[in-house]
Amino acid sequence: MAAFDYAPAIVLLPFVSFLVSLGAALYGDDVLPKGGALAGIVATAGSLILSLWVFFTVSAGNVYNQTIYTWTTGAGAAGEEALELTFGLLLDPLSSMMLIIVSLVALLVHVFSLGYMNDEGETGLPRYYAGLGLFSASMLGFVVAHNILMAFMFFELVGLCSFLLIGFWFREPGPPSAAKKAFLVTRFGDYFFLVGVVAIFATFGTGRFAGAESFPVLAEEVLAGEVAVNTFGFAPTTWFTVVGLLVLGGVIGKSAQFPLHTWLPDAMEGPTPVSALIHAATMVAAGVYLVARMYGFYAVSPTALAVIALVGGFTALVAATMGVVKREIKQVLAYSTISQYGYMMLALGAGGYVAATFHLLTHAFFKALLFLGAGSVIIAMHHNENMWDMGGLKDRMPVTYWTFLSGSLALAGIIPFAGFWSKDEVLYEALVHGLGTDGGLGTIFLVAYAFGLLAVFFTGFYTFRMVFLTFHGDARTGQARDPEGVGWNVKGPLAVLGVLAAVTGFVNMTPVADLFDLDIEYLHRWLEGPEGVEFMSALSAHHYLELLESDVTGIHAAELDPLIPGGVSLLLALAGVGLAYALYGRGEPEEYTAKLGGVQDLLYNNYYQDEYQVAIAERVVLPLSRAADKFDQSGVDGVVNGVSSVSLFSGSRVRRVQTGLVSNYAALVTLGLTVLLVAFGIYGGWLL
Amino acid sequence: MVVYPDWAALAPALALAVTGLVLLLIDSVDPDDSRPGLLAGTAVVGTLVSLGYAGWFLASGTGQVDGGTGAISLYRDALVVDGMALFFQAVFAVVTALVCIASYDYLKERAYQAEFYSLVMFAATGMAVMATANSLATAFIALELASLPSYALVAFLKHNRGSVEASLKYFLIGALSSAVFAFGISLVYAATGSLLLADVASALSALDGGLTGVAAIGVLMVAGGFAFKTASVPFHFWAPEAYEGAPAPISAFLSSASKAAGFAVLFRVFTTAFPLDAAGVDWMLLFQVLAVVTMTLGNFAAATQETVKRMLAYSSIGHAGYALIGLAAWSGGAPGSVENGAVLGASMAHLLVYGFMNTGAFLFVALAEQWDVGRTFEDYAGLGSRAPMASVAMTVFMFSLAGVPPFGGFFSKLFLFAGAVDAGFWWLAAVGVVNSTLSLYYYSRVVKALWVDDPVGEFELGGTPTGLYVAVVFAAVGTLLLLPGFAPVIETAQSVAAALVP
Repeated sequence: MAAFDYAPAIVLLPFVSFLVSLGAALYGDDVLPKGGALAGIVATAGSLILSLWVFFTVSAGNVYNQTIYTWTTGAGAAGEEALELTFGLLLDPLSSMMLIIVSLVALLVHVFSLGYMNDEGETGLPRYYAGLGLFSASMLGFVVAHNILMAFMFFELVGLCSFLLIGFWFREPGPPSAAKKAFLVTRFGDYFFLVGVVAIFATFGTGRFAGAESFPVLAEEVLAGEVAVNTFGFAPTTWFTVVGLLVLGGVIGKSAQFPLHTWLPDAMEGPTPVSALIHAATMVAAGVYLVARMYGFYAVSPTALAVIALVGGFTALVAATMGVVKREIKQVLAYSTISQYGYMMLALGAGGYVAATFHLLTHAFFKALLFLGAGSVIIAMHHNENMWDMGGLKDRMPVTYWTFLSGSLALAGIIPFAGFWSKDEVLYEALVHGLGTDGGLGTIFLVAYAFGLLAVFFTGFYTFRMVFLTFHGDARTGQARDPEGVGWNVKGPLAVLGVLAAVTGFVNMTPVADLFDLDIEYLHRWLEGPEGVEFMSALSAHHYLELLESDVTGIHAAELDPLIPGGVSLLLALAGVGLAYALYGRGEPEEYTAKLGGVQDLLYNNYYQDEYQVAIAERVVLPLSRAADKFDQSGVDGVVNGVSSVSLFSGSRVRRVQTGLVSNYAALVTLGLTVLLVAFGIYGGWLL
Repeated sequence: MVVYPDWAALAPALALAVTGLVLLLIDSVDPDDSRPGLLAGTAVVGTLVSLGYAGWFLASGTGQVDGGTGAISLYRDALVVDGMALFFQAVFAVVTALVCIASYDYLKERAYQAEFYSLVMFAATGMAVMATANSLATAFIALELASLPSYALVAFLKHNRGSVEASLKYFLIGALSSAVFAFGISLVYAATGSLLLADVASALSALDGGLTGVAAIGVLMVAGGFAFKTASVPFHFWAPEAYEGAPAPISAFLSSASKAAGFAVLFRVFTTAFPLDAAGVDWMLLFQVLAVVTMTLGNFAAATQETVKRMLAYSSIGHAGYALIGLAAWSGGAPGSVENGAVLGASMAHLLVYGFMNTGAFLFVALAEQWDVGRTFEDYAGLGSRAPMASVAMTVFMFSLAGVPPFGGFFSKLFLFAGAVDAGFWWLAAVGVVNSTLSLYYYSRVVKALWVDDPVGEFELGGTPTGLYVAVVFAAVGTLLLLPGFAPVIETAQSVAAALVP
């Protein structure tokens, strides 16, 4: 397939734009028009076109799973295949869909940056666009990775880029510290991921995602008793759960799930387009995408699934409650991101592979839209992000308002916007699997579902609190009364995303399909993948369902009409919106949160998550480090120094044997020989 | 297809011998050494021809088991040409070529150049024959042929007290060792009635109990004779003095080629003539003891030296200890088996790598002597900025000698230690690793002096001696090329080592 031959260019194009911008940044500021933006736009547009081509090729029933470059081949122990570390592409329905999301959002963010960065007269633009280019390239490389080590490498690159971009304004105090925090917190998770990668290679001898020799397939065969792998003395189920949870460490860090979510709100210190990119399509999405990518591996481990579901549901609720009290517009969005990714994790954990992917898709569009809309507002407000200083922007910036509203309706989950359909499916999957599954697993799913359902209310509330505070009512400051205008490069991306946020949900309208018995679940069919390709059968949604319903996992779906739970969640969302309207939508809004008293403090301080983590670092880790340092200084160094002084001392003794007198040497040679003769003679039994 | 006579298999050795004679001929025509270039050129061409033959034979399978003729026995089994002999002959030829190229500059303005080159050639001939010796008698003769010119060469700077004194000590210890060696041979002959290695082996296996002690003393004394040549404890005392006193190219020659020759004959004699179970001596244990003591003593003494050349001399003793692992961990598996060759071949490969890096290091010392910068570590300070290319080469040698990746010395040590571990002697490998770690200390002192330290005083480098530079750089390139090229080297070495015991 020609499209597949060109597929590496999807990754390489943004990388080239990175190199171009990097060259410009090293050479000086003014060598590229628009500070390197054009190179990035052309590159991501090229990636988008190629991604669409790949998408259509995949929809014609072709898939691709090939190694492109083998960079190391191990020797291989006796009777085992040599370990190979490779780069390669896996282009299947999931990755080709993700490619479009990433390249589209990257393109729009590049265009938007023209308005947000260039028009605002920022300096250091080549550095900025170099970062964006590398960011896009890393994420695209991560998406197409066909083995987990390659995925890990690009995963780390994504983390590096987010560090570089969050800290873009490195001369101010906030951004560098936020960048460091993002880097360190995600790195904490990545340690587990790395150990997990090594464990996967050690267990299965391969890191491939797809194919007969891939690790999810091998895991399945091991559990079916068909093949055996080294599980290091554990029962296979236990070991696979351990490995899955190790990898999940990286996912929780990157996708900002509880308790490693704390980096994400701080990451708002970065430029707003970067936030859009991080939240919608790259960094945060990487974690969830990884679970989806190797879903076959998780699907055979009920414990891992339960953890995923519970973490997801809990995060969804906790983050939503924190979003309720925030003052800055981007802070609200940050917590909404955490919460929404919690939904995706909930879906993955509760066996809703399609639902999670669906929500990943819709969320990418409406969250990118909301961030870019917030960026537009921030431009207009001269970089004041406090919502209490806004108000009444509705009439002064209509394009931003209407698109932002579309995104907000999607986020809140109001029919018929995109978020409603996907969130509804997430909750539905959690509910039916919770009801249908026996024992503790079912209960956990139900608890997670309850978390998620409750979060719907808060989501509706904080979303429209934000909308009302920002756009409705009267302008509360001079800035809001006279906002700065924004150009086409801001409005264009907003318009595109505004439409997508409204309509993307139509690709998988499960309740409608059930109600009218229509065959319109396009996404579901898409993720089934083409038939007749061997490796695809193990990657299809259908196969995942089989795995979940197998005896190993034992998840079953209850029979339930999708209309009732859908109606419940819609009602809750509407209730949230209504409450927001009642409190903030009419006349002059008040700071009702002040009436919450202690709860307000708790929420403002994000349940003291940062504080307890800092306390752990200071009270536990620091003394331990000091002790280790002390041991290193006195114990290890002492031994090393001692060894070296003993060596030098004995060296100088040895030197003395070399007297310079040849008669001594002759005597020593003879003596030495005699000693050997006597010793070996006695040892050998022929002397004495 | 042309069928060559069997004696043609000796071509690598013959080429060296003929070159030595040609040099003498040139000298008789032109006794004043008025054309040093011709002398050096002849010597280099002769060694390259020898190298060419050895390489060609190795590549075409002459004397080898795999796709070749099998070992070629000559002169009623007194000599044998097989893969191991050719491998070592290639090592000698490379080292000799480097030494000859470097000597062109080193000998400038000195008398008796023709004698120098021809002595080097005859010594090299002796080494080449040592590698093929298949009888204790030829081993002894070849060893003397290699040694006697060496004594003279060490004393080549005959107005230099150090050079002459070193030569005398070398000669005296050498004479003692030869006496021990010859006595050992006679005892073995007394017990077995043969000097041919294969016959010795079969006779030892069928030995009457009463003669075991005689044979065992003989075996130990033969080991002593080889220990002298390889500069292993306790026959190592000559080495630091000789290496330090000798002209630096000769130090390179002795510490690389001559040592390798000692190992060549040591490997052959012990693996073919003295079966482990019948020799009366557990010689694996013997070499384990010698390896540990030798490498430890060499490295410890090297760590406290003040002059670079003497440090290299001790490090050379340390490397003899590493190479001894080849016998110390020799598994003695089934004849011709892979296990047999693994660690022995690794030891041979180490000697090849060592040939490059150690020769290069001594030649750098020759370069420094030529510049007259001094002998201690401190005197080398600041050379990095004045002679960057040579200093880079020296840095490569030092790190490679220490066994730091990514240089040739790393891989050879890796295979050597891995072979020891595979054979079940992990403690031997552990001692080796500890010693290598210690060696990094004193090797890096040189590197630090070259690049980091500030020079004590002002000094001028007197020009760039082309020949020395070429030799040093070539050795460095060789050390580096052995990194990607290590796979064929180790494969060849291990397969020829496996073929050693039929």
